[in-house]
Amino acid sequence: MGEQKLMVISSADQLLEGKTRRDFLKLVGLGGAVIFLPSVLTNCSNNSGITGPPGSGSPLVIDFAKGDTAVLQFAYALEQLEADFYTKVVANFSSSLTANEQTVLGEIKNHEVIHRQALKTILGSTNDFTVHTNYSGLNFSDRASVLNTAKTFEDLGVAAYNGAAQYLTSTANLLVAGKIVSVEARHASAIRDLIAPKTSSQGDSGTSFAPKSFDDVFSPGKVRTAAQAFVVEQLTFSNAPSTFVQGPNNNG
Amino acid sequence: MTPQKTLFDSIDPEIIETIANRHEEISKGASASSKVMAALAIGSIPVALAALSKEAYGQTPADVVDVLQFALTLEYLEAEFYNRGVANADVMAIPAADRPVYTTIQTHENDHVAALKTFITARGAVPGAKPSFDFTAKGNVPGFNFGAGQYATFQVLSQAFEDTGVRAYKGQAGRLINDKPALNAALSIHSVEARHASEIRRLRGKKGWITGNSRDDLPAFTQGIYNGEENTTQAGLDISALGTGNGGVDAVTQSFDEPLTKDQVLAIVSPFIN
Repeated sequence: MGEQKLMVISSADQLLEGKTRRDFLKLVGLGGAVIFLPSVLTNCSNNSGITGPPGSGSPLVIDFAKGDTAVLQFAYALEQLEADFYTKVVANFSSSLTANEQTVLGEIKNHEVIHRQALKTILGSTNDFTVHTNYSGLNFSDRASVLNTAKTFEDLGVAAYNGAAQYLTSTANLLVAGKIVSVEARHASAIRDLIAPKTSSQGDSGTSFAPKSFDDVFSPGKVRTAAQAFVVEQLTFSNAPSTFVQGPNNNG
Repeated sequence: MTPQKTLFDSIDPEIIETIANRHEEISKGASASSKVMAALAIGSIPVALAALSKEAYGQTPADVVDVLQFALTLEYLEAEFYNRGVANADVMAIPAADRPVYTTIQTHENDHVAALKTFITARGAVPGAKPSFDFTAKGNVPGFNFGAGQYATFQVLSQAFEDTGVRAYKGQAGRLINDKPALNAALSIHSVEARHASEIRRLRGKKGWITGNSRDDLPAFTQGIYNGEENTTQAGLDISALGTGNGGVDAVTQSFDEPLTKDQVLAIVSPFIN
């Protein structure tokens, strides 16, 4: 076979780059040696480096055969998205947002980061994946863009937890989800009230802080489709539940 | 002849319909489990039905109904509170800009009452009657009668009821874990109560979320509504350190709403019930 080939990988992200991946596969196929530096593991947890259009990345697989763990992983993926969004919002505060609005958004950022880190801690060894985001050119210095995207994420988060709960078999895990979802609902209400204060407008396009008598209950598949628009990785389910029990709005 | 047909032909069609509609695993063509079959083998329809019911609901239907009746009592309280508040909006001089908040919540609470009654009836029980309420809470809110100059007190009670509602539903969710339609309904009400709570709190100049066990400026008799919200242990893990750089322990407590037991909730609301 000739001389031994050598390749050094310092970051898992490198393996997602086209040329590196081709070289890696070619090298493995030839029986070459690959050195993974310790940074491969440590660098997995940062949220930079992997870019591209939504859905263009490698599959991020949630395997529902794992039961409650899969539901918590699904929640962890969504909380990564939310935490990343608000972190960028806070980092890009502009005078288009009032001081009060910045306070509210800053506190929500804290909550979402804490949710993300809490789920990461609870998942333990099964937390080893990172969501990379793409907001498709969202103008973070534009008040309306920021608040409307926040509204989308908060309403989606509420519907996601409400809909994923039915797949939990442990009451302890159900309680954790319940403790988080009502805080997401408090966020949704606050954001909506910043956009359209004290309004009663109801329905799917309603602008009220609480636009329906019963919040939406969305299936994981419906949530995945909505979240995919902001995620580079291909959000993928395996062993996805074959049944979904609809909520009162029958729109999940 | 199939065992299922024998079973289903022998008991109240309404009960069959309720169970079958709510639980796909009991749908036509599904095979009965060993417990049901064993009961049938000894020729006992009541035992077979009991086994079927327990398997379908996990908790017995009586337990699910108990949760729904408990929730109905809370929703009766809230619905009447907002019905009277909206009816007395002029008397209390609620600012015009604030009124859509209360009419929105009023509609929701009345819808919750109606839905819970439907769920209870569908499970073969009779919805409890609406109690008569005392919004002075046995004198804890002296003289409150939705009267002139009492808008601020109305708002205090509104915050108290909404924050209680969130914790009450959260504490009962586990008892519904095997009745998915009831679980979905309870969760979809639970998060709406949280939206209400956030709005009312912000309307009062407070944060939309609860910090520690603070009742803010609410009267001392409401402290039970907030006790326990200072918890920083989640899923058995101390997460207080996660606040570092993210708003501190205050933010950790804000990030998770905590449950109340049924007894804790009853202790909070019983002064309002005659």
